[in-house]
Amino acid sequence: MSDEKQPTDRRDFLLKLGAGAGVAAITVQAGASLRSLVPNVSYDAPTTVKLGPPNDFPDGLKFLPDERVLVFREGNTFHAISAVCTHLGCTVRAEALPNPQTTEAAGAPLRLTHRFLCPCHGSEYKGDGTNVAGPAPKPLAWFRLSFAADDGQLVIDLADEVDRDFRLTLG
Amino acid sequence: MRLPSLTRSKPEAPGVHAEPFWSLRPQSDREAGDAVVSNFMLHWFPAKISKASMAWNYSFWLGTISAALFFLTILSGLPLLFLYVPSVERAYQSVKDIEFVITFGSWIRSVHRISAHLMVIVVALHLMRVFLTGAYKNGVGRGQQREVNWVIGVVMFLTTLFLSFTGYLLPWDQLAFWAVTVGTNIAASIPAIGASVRELLIGGRNIEQATLIRFYVLHVVFLPGLLGVLFAYHMWRVRKDGGLARADAESVVESPRSTAPVPSKTYTLLGVARGTAPTVTAHTLDAPDATVNAVPDLVRRAAIATLGTIAVISIMSVFIASPLEEPANALVTPNPAKAPWYFLWLQEIVTDTTIRIGSFTLNGAFVGGVILPGLLVGLLTFWPWIDKSSHLAAGVWLPRDRRTQNLVFLLLILGVLALTFVGMVLRGPYWILYWPWEAWPEIPGRI
Repeated sequence: MSDEKQPTDRRDFLLKLGAGAGVAAITVQAGASLRSLVPNVSYDAPTTVKLGPPNDFPDGLKFLPDERVLVFREGNTFHAISAVCTHLGCTVRAEALPNPQTTEAAGAPLRLTHRFLCPCHGSEYKGDGTNVAGPAPKPLAWFRLSFAADDGQLVIDLADEVDRDFRLTLG
Repeated sequence: MRLPSLTRSKPEAPGVHAEPFWSLRPQSDREAGDAVVSNFMLHWFPAKISKASMAWNYSFWLGTISAALFFLTILSGLPLLFLYVPSVERAYQSVKDIEFVITFGSWIRSVHRISAHLMVIVVALHLMRVFLTGAYKNGVGRGQQREVNWVIGVVMFLTTLFLSFTGYLLPWDQLAFWAVTVGTNIAASIPAIGASVRELLIGGRNIEQATLIRFYVLHVVFLPGLLGVLFAYHMWRVRKDGGLARADAESVVESPRSTAPVPSKTYTLLGVARGTAPTVTAHTLDAPDATVNAVPDLVRRAAIATLGTIAVISIMSVFIASPLEEPANALVTPNPAKAPWYFLWLQEIVTDTTIRIGSFTLNGAFVGGVILPGLLVGLLTFWPWIDKSSHLAAGVWLPRDRRTQNLVFLLLILGVLALTFVGMVLRGPYWILYWPWEAWPEIPGRI
């Protein structure tokens, strides 16, 4: 505070202080209220899930609605593809192909038995998860499969995306 | 009809009136004006109003009907508040009880639902009317800020849509669950912040109890409160801007010379002049055949519009039952899964706007769900500042001066309607196009 200030400066100062305090109080209140709406904890289902003994899985496709995942078995090898459409998150449905054929996916041979269709906006995916039609911006995710160390059940890790040459081999 | 009133005595002070009621057949202009001052329900009316702005075929009274529908949703929402349980375990059952067990429950729910749906339509029509008549334009009055009221109106329109959408979720049936899945995933498609926005919207990473309670509170407290406040401000601005733009147009049309506005007539309460109030040229508004007292003429028409709306909704609700789908099932997406009708055009757009340039892909969810609607809303909001037509085009249906913009606007509306039609009628399982006369194929069971 310098000496050449006007005598009204104290009033000005107090007015600004009051107004500033009011604004600050409301801002902090609003901020706190809004922050309380951002969840700190998410009670999500675990991402690593036991899916059952490998022999429960038939050759071909088994859809697991709880995990929203499609598990494929081809002889002794397994792989899992997400059933969540990459466009807006609806669950795709599998449609069996009349003439399954074997192609290559990421360098590894893969028998394509199905194609996947989304009921919400008509996205279409090939049997290896590649998006071929509709608005889907990218392929369906592939997830890592393993066998449980304790009881040998098939285990999926929904947090671990893998390349399309991933196979889990039994025995 | 004369409502019961105490013996008329001279007011003890200006503006203070002894009568608890007002007369619907005032004997004098003074008595008509007194009604507006003394009655709470009428305080938002002007003392006098131009006949032209009350014409049925100018505004179609769409704003009043919108307000009546809002009033009806609140009225029918009150009993539903007592009956509905916002819990994922019990919501569906409580709606089912409302529908099948509670006396008049089905009718009340229908009133609520039909009013809400019609409100979306009528508010949209009101917005279109205001656009096509250039009623967001300032006319001859001084200090008018009609563009501000237009912006408020756009926000009210969006609030109406969100109100309807949040209500749509509450039965927690299949329709609701998947509409919310898609709706919140559109928010999630925004680059960088999308995932956080979705988490904030649904209160976690999955659509569960936290989601339901959020949408519930938005639906019953936040959004209606917001709409109520905006509605009051909307009405207040109409008064501050000198009534409907039609009144301006009227005084211009009948004026042989285009003079600068004369501050001889104001539209503040009872014509008490204030410097900052909008003023309108006097020659037509003072003419006794061009204006009428708000009591009873405006009151009568507002009552007809409001009571007519209530009657129509009440009768419709007897005959139109509200649907309830299967309980929400996170495991099975219905096929096809359709958005509520007023968002079907958006569902069509997000279907068709995924952009691929080489290996670069932009999700249609973001392009069609965020960017395009954002652009449209932005354009709509700021149109009053883009529209450079003459002030003479304010309050006139389809004036030559605004022909191009009205045409573009109508074409956009037509486009939205066409997309809505495609989504509603032509889309079948897997969102494939079928003609209405084509049978949908049998879709093998759930997998």
